[in-house]
Amino acid sequence: MQANMNSGILRRYRWKELGLLIIPFLILMLEMVQLAIAQFFQTQTTTNSQHPIPISTAILPSIRDLVPVPVFGLIVALILVNLLLSIFFPKADQLLLPLVGLMSGIGVLMALRLGPDVGDSLLGTRQLVWVILGLILCMATVFGLRNMNWLKRYKYTWALLGIFLVALTIINALRVKNLNSPTHDQLNFGPLNLQPSELLKIFIVIFFAAYLSENRDVLTEGNLRIGPLRLPPLRTLGPILLMLAISLLLFLVIRELGLALLIYGIFLSMIYLGSGKLSYVIGGLLLFIALGFIGFKLFGYVQARFAVLSLDVVNWQNWSQPTQDFARNGALQVVQGLIALANGGVLGAGFGLGHTGTFVPVAQSDMVFTALGEEFGLAGLFAIIGIYLLIIYRGFRIAIEASDEFNQLLAAGLTSIFAIQTFIIIAGNMKFLPLTGIPLPFLSYGGSSIIANFIIIGILLRISYNTAMEREGLA
Amino acid sequence: MTLDVFLFILRLLFIVLLYLFLMQVVIAITRDLRKTATASDNSTNQAPPVVGHLIVVDSGPSTILPGTRFDLSPQTTIGRGPTNSIQLVDNFISSEHTRLWFRNGLWYVQDAGSTNGTYVNSQPAREALAARFGDIIQVGFIRFKLAQ
Repeated sequence: MQANMNSGILRRYRWKELGLLIIPFLILMLEMVQLAIAQFFQTQTTTNSQHPIPISTAILPSIRDLVPVPVFGLIVALILVNLLLSIFFPKADQLLLPLVGLMSGIGVLMALRLGPDVGDSLLGTRQLVWVILGLILCMATVFGLRNMNWLKRYKYTWALLGIFLVALTIINALRVKNLNSPTHDQLNFGPLNLQPSELLKIFIVIFFAAYLSENRDVLTEGNLRIGPLRLPPLRTLGPILLMLAISLLLFLVIRELGLALLIYGIFLSMIYLGSGKLSYVIGGLLLFIALGFIGFKLFGYVQARFAVLSLDVVNWQNWSQPTQDFARNGALQVVQGLIALANGGVLGAGFGLGHTGTFVPVAQSDMVFTALGEEFGLAGLFAIIGIYLLIIYRGFRIAIEASDEFNQLLAAGLTSIFAIQTFIIIAGNMKFLPLTGIPLPFLSYGGSSIIANFIIIGILLRISYNTAMEREGLA
Repeated sequence: MTLDVFLFILRLLFIVLLYLFLMQVVIAITRDLRKTATASDNSTNQAPPVVGHLIVVDSGPSTILPGTRFDLSPQTTIGRGPTNSIQLVDNFISSEHTRLWFRNGLWYVQDAGSTNGTYVNSQPAREALAARFGDIIQVGFIRFKLAQ
């Protein structure tokens, strides 16, 4: 009996996942060694600047000095997750964990590397703790979501909870009366800084998915005609539009343009996925342009954000005095980020050998893409974007295979969060859209974002497991 | 070997490993796609097998005639919406009303979040309930007998 069970577990073991984790582990250990060498190299050159010693591999630190503890902690955590999933959820998707594990590992290493430069030597350790906490919560989500209908049935509760969290934040922000500080959208619980907006986006997707899956019939009919556009009856759309309006207003109050953009993007993609009608999306985009134009005219800070886009960075030698002043103040972050990217070139400066942390403001979270660009180069950035594409592909694949409408919309909506968020922040870093303060999934420093992303991965894993189990029942 | 060269080799190795990983994932995906493609080829060749029937015992307020037989495939959904495998047009049926599936020789019935509920032998099926042939399944106000 015992032997039988063991061989069963071995047979069902997630070998594919374990096999795919090997190269990420190698990459992480390689980068840890490189980081240690780079830091050693820098201390050598600064302490012996009077008498430069010949630099060669002969003076490299011994193996004992390279203690890659953070990386080993992460590797052990990932193997444990692989083991747990193999025992309890052998049929869940096997590609997500390696992809996400590599991304968050690079995130931890980047925080470890940028920490001393931004004046917080514990940054990397804290990021590692967040990632491990995220993995634990991801497992808790996979184990805890026994019944998907539970998410569906209490949709209004989730929506209200999300709005309540953000309303708390706003009250907090108004009390402090400092809307320009970068952390005004955080809630402080003792040592914890939480960003409720990260959780709000999950709640919103659950609500949209539940509501759209219930009212799909009415939405696809579309009996309200305005010219060539066929709109759904407003009464059916009411709760969704209300939810959308509330969250957009909240973000305009706390001046989070990026989040407003993200929520609206999720709304459009989910409406399209739910109804399959392009006309809704076109109508929504037109409305967005109109609203955006009004916002641009009304709010000064929106104009300030957009002013960066008109900066001609290539032609910097011919800048007039006001342009130069603008580049030193309002556009500082973006301009410095572009310099970092240009400094990286094709192959990059090498991990631990760039200087992004010292000259780009907030390089560890908002501008982490430029830090990656400087040290890993264009080749590294392409690979990172490739990994994001694979994560998104996998999410949509889980959505296509899911058994019922709610699960399909939920998986697709959660995946669109990754897609839209990554696009907005990378475009902001590269002066393609106004820069906004939303984190790059898994790579930016920040506990709330890491945890929210891992919860999303947990939900996706559970949906893929449920689908596979129903398949089994069919066979 | 100078340190610069060593670091340069490390950097190249990193990029090579990154792309190797991407390639490995893509290979895993294509293998996966091929497997599901052949699996769906096999399943589309043969229509889903009929493993049971629902016979209307009491049509309640609806216009369905008592005695009507509905074929059950191993995964069946009942509701008013057009995507269900059994579509019942009745005001007391929700757009997605009931899900039934067949596993290990037993039927499982679960309500899909309907307004008027699903019952197996008068027990509400909010969670999945097992059902045997001969049991009475009530969907909204329509009562069916589960038959072979």
